[in-house]
Amino acid sequence: MKRRNLLQRILCFSVIVVFMSIPAWGADTIKIGVLGPMAFTQGEGHWNGATLAADEINAQGGVTVNGAKRQIELIKVDTNEFLSVPDATNAVELAISRFNADFLTGGFRTEAVTVMQDIAMDNKKIFLGCGAAHPELCERVATDYNRYKYWFRVTPINSKFLVKVDFILLGTVAKIMATQLNIPKIKVAIVAEQAAWNEPIVSVAQKKLPEMGMEVVGVWRPSPVATDVGAELSAVQRAGAHIIFTSFSSSVGIPFAKQLGELKIPAAPVGINVEAQKQSFYDATGGKGDYTLTINTYARVKITDATIPFFDSYLKRFGEAPNYTAGTYEALHILKEAIERANSLDSDKVVMELEKTDRPGTAGRLVFTKDHDVTWGPGYVTGLGTQWQDGKNQCVWPMGWEGVTYEGVVPYKLPPWIVEHYKK
Amino acid sequence: MLQDIIINGLVNGSIYALLAIGFSLIFGVARIVNIAHTAFYMLAAYFIYIGFHYLGAPPVLAIVLAVPATVLTALVCFRLFIDPIQEHEAAVLIATIALAMVIQEALLVVFGGHYLGVPPLISGYVELLGVRVTKQHVLALGFVLVALALVWVLLMRTRIGLAIRVTAQDREIANLMGMDVRRVAMVTMAVSVMLAAVAGAIVVPLTVLDPHMWMHPLIMMLAIVVLGGVGSVKGSLLGSFILGFAEALVVFLIPMGAFLKGSVALSIMILVLLIRPEGLFGVAFEEER
Amino acid sequence: MGSPVFYLRRLRTLIQTEVLVLPSRITVLVFSLGLLLLPLFTRDPYVLRILILTSIFAILAASWDLLSGFTGQINFGHALFFGVGSYSTALLNIHAHLPPWAGIPLGALGAVLAGLVIGIPCLRLRGTYLALTTLAFPIILLGVVFAIPGITGGELGISGLSRLSGSRVGDYYITVILMLGLGGVMWKITDSKTGIIFHAIREDELAVRASGLNTVRYKLLAFCLSSFFAGIAGGLYAHLMRTAGPSTLEVGTSFQVIIWAVFGGMVSIYGPIAGVFILFPLLEFLRILPKIRMLVFAFIVLLTLLYMPEGLIPWIRDKIEKECPRCKVRNAATRKTCRVCAASLEKA
Repeated sequence: MKRRNLLQRILCFSVIVVFMSIPAWGADTIKIGVLGPMAFTQGEGHWNGATLAADEINAQGGVTVNGAKRQIELIKVDTNEFLSVPDATNAVELAISRFNADFLTGGFRTEAVTVMQDIAMDNKKIFLGCGAAHPELCERVATDYNRYKYWFRVTPINSKFLVKVDFILLGTVAKIMATQLNIPKIKVAIVAEQAAWNEPIVSVAQKKLPEMGMEVVGVWRPSPVATDVGAELSAVQRAGAHIIFTSFSSSVGIPFAKQLGELKIPAAPVGINVEAQKQSFYDATGGKGDYTLTINTYARVKITDATIPFFDSYLKRFGEAPNYTAGTYEALHILKEAIERANSLDSDKVVMELEKTDRPGTAGRLVFTKDHDVTWGPGYVTGLGTQWQDGKNQCVWPMGWEGVTYEGVVPYKLPPWIVEHYKK
Repeated sequence: MLQDIIINGLVNGSIYALLAIGFSLIFGVARIVNIAHTAFYMLAAYFIYIGFHYLGAPPVLAIVLAVPATVLTALVCFRLFIDPIQEHEAAVLIATIALAMVIQEALLVVFGGHYLGVPPLISGYVELLGVRVTKQHVLALGFVLVALALVWVLLMRTRIGLAIRVTAQDREIANLMGMDVRRVAMVTMAVSVMLAAVAGAIVVPLTVLDPHMWMHPLIMMLAIVVLGGVGSVKGSLLGSFILGFAEALVVFLIPMGAFLKGSVALSIMILVLLIRPEGLFGVAFEEER
Repeated sequence: MGSPVFYLRRLRTLIQTEVLVLPSRITVLVFSLGLLLLPLFTRDPYVLRILILTSIFAILAASWDLLSGFTGQINFGHALFFGVGSYSTALLNIHAHLPPWAGIPLGALGAVLAGLVIGIPCLRLRGTYLALTTLAFPIILLGVVFAIPGITGGELGISGLSRLSGSRVGDYYITVILMLGLGGVMWKITDSKTGIIFHAIREDELAVRASGLNTVRYKLLAFCLSSFFAGIAGGLYAHLMRTAGPSTLEVGTSFQVIIWAVFGGMVSIYGPIAGVFILFPLLEFLRILPKIRMLVFAFIVLLTLLYMPEGLIPWIRDKIEKECPRCKVRNAATRKTCRVCAASLEKA
């Protein structure tokens, strides 16, 4: 008898918990599902960016639809997408069907985002992607507009444009090295994690670098989650490279920078290293990550008038600089504006207004292409080049590129051990 | 290039050896496939992180504190979750997987999925045969030799070592002879986890700390142990260097396929097993009844 | 003879004499009927989605049991079959435009091929060696997947597959009926003569060989059957997600299968199915504790094993049923005498 009582109690308790976990939603809020791996830096970025924007919008009274002010309500959806793709899809389904999310934003791992995108499209929910850079996600809009038109990419710039920025940065550093150290022909080692998004980058680099007057001494493709790249680094050094052209989106970026700094390999790292965009990079590498140059989205420079206020309030509130998944901040603001222009929450109407977006955003002037991708170029979103200098992630590019120089940019610094090595 | 391969192979191999020897010991004695072995390796690294960042201890002290803390945690877990179900092979297997998951998730809850770093014992590099190697890696190489010597002395020159070897050979007879098999298993567990913890202290400063870092070394470690012959310390040592060299070879000979180093190493293991199903130094199967 | 009335009557007798006498069989009957009738009560897309995924993974877990539970060939790399099944189904769908009903079985044949490829070398291995070697195969294949992104899509996977059916309810019925059907088939296989030989191989391979049976052939058969069912699960998964990606091959997937199956109770087919039907929704339920969800999950598994090392379902079964000491037929725990031979069931 006693046991049954206990069982009943547990049952009763769980029922209560379930009901309590579904809060009574206010009838007139606009619900936005923020999708991200919440236990990880990427998900925290999603959530922090969105809360910052939501609080700002709500403090001003909310979003005006049909003359009424409506508050924004965020739903935190933990997709756990790094560990389980089914988990991610279940979470999105839950957000749409149970919590009645009106709009979605976030997403990171491409494999999971394609599936989440499909679920959102099935339900005709607008999904503002902030994290996955694969061009495929937006190519779907081009091939099947009527189905995929509810998808927009707010950040980052897609990998095709990342390549362009890559080569500009590489050219800049190569020029600095050639003039400062008197090296006639710069040798480049390509070290790119083995991932599909890197395929075009590697093949273009092999073709384009000789055209730019440099020599490619080898291509290394470590695993994205490799924990030891000591062997790769000795090989790079053996090949006599002056510059290492990196392309990392995963954890491998940390051991790479750490071991490079520890071994003082005489080659400057330039390219993409997503881990180096984060504030925690310096500590994670034990300070060895200094001089790492990476493409970035945010830095404390005046890209537009919105950038520095956003950067400062983010830093003040969360104690760290925003990384690019915090683009959910931007997403919420453009969504608010589009809803107000459409004067409706109807997905189709809002899509039409979103397409007309032209906003001096935190990462640059945000205008969507016809594939609902971020427009790249001078005067639009350019992306940044940031370098770790004495424990600070400083913006070093664009500086005088196509007439673009953001206020607050500092010059690029060569690692001292390289200068020492080649000066002799 | 040859010297690069030799040096990097040795470094890779010694790191794997630290993990594989411990795993091999506990399997030999208690017949436990301890999937959580590398989770303890990870735990040790996190303890060092706590000691260094939260308690403000210098790196050496943090390491000295972290190793016994890990061993203690492991023994408690072993006593609570593994020991009671020793008789059920499948259940032990899942229990160790679940234990690893618990450790992973607990760390995830406390530290989040951030990549963290722990300080190295010594920083800087040395040139061996013209190849740059971090001092920390040289330390790993040296420590493998020390650890091997210690394990050898323990097994061959002490009473408890005798007990471990006897239990490894025949658990039932050892029990019948009045030996406390459980105690022997506990001692072995302690030695095994200590090796894992030391590996964590030496290797992790050169890489990153995150709650999922136990997966990759786990797979390599399992491959090495199988390659060398399950339960054989000698085999694990040789297996570590075979796979360590295989990885270095892949990186230097097919740089475009550097990501395949794990796959190639695993394929080598399978090839060896096809020729010698009992591994290099394993005991050939008797048709046991 | 042959009239529907006759068969209906036989069915009724069967249910009365074989099903309703045992609590476990009643549970299976109620559970199956409940699943089939569920869409009449709720069409909540979230609930249906969870049950669809649960059904797919139930097939997967049961197929693991068929190989590892019954023949004792512990497979640590079951994700291989699942992954190969989903990738080949996806390739067939994208390139040959095969509809799901044709692509999934063909994709499963691809998984069978994988089963043969790893089964033949693994025949020489036993016990721990086998378990740890099988773990390597999906990881090697994962390397291949990344090496040829032109075909496999690399980390992106193959996306844009056609839908399983037009609607969520349609998907639900396809997967649930397949799960019940394939589960029944697997159970029937293990209950057949072949199944008894599988059992015997696990218990004493030498004795089976001494009885003049070719154990190699039977072990290979187990590999093929298991990989076929796992491949079906993989194909269903690919069509449901509309993508086949590298996550299907990860070590986590293999471990997950083992956890489900051992938690539910090995060597029973219905144990692993029940295991998935408990653990997968449990993980969803635990979303109420967002931060510590996985931690609680792992703890529940660990604690359950501590008290029920043989698995949950065998533990429950032994509580509600007992075996007749004379004729080994199972009886409801409430009975005093055996339902077949009338021997006393009271403990002496």
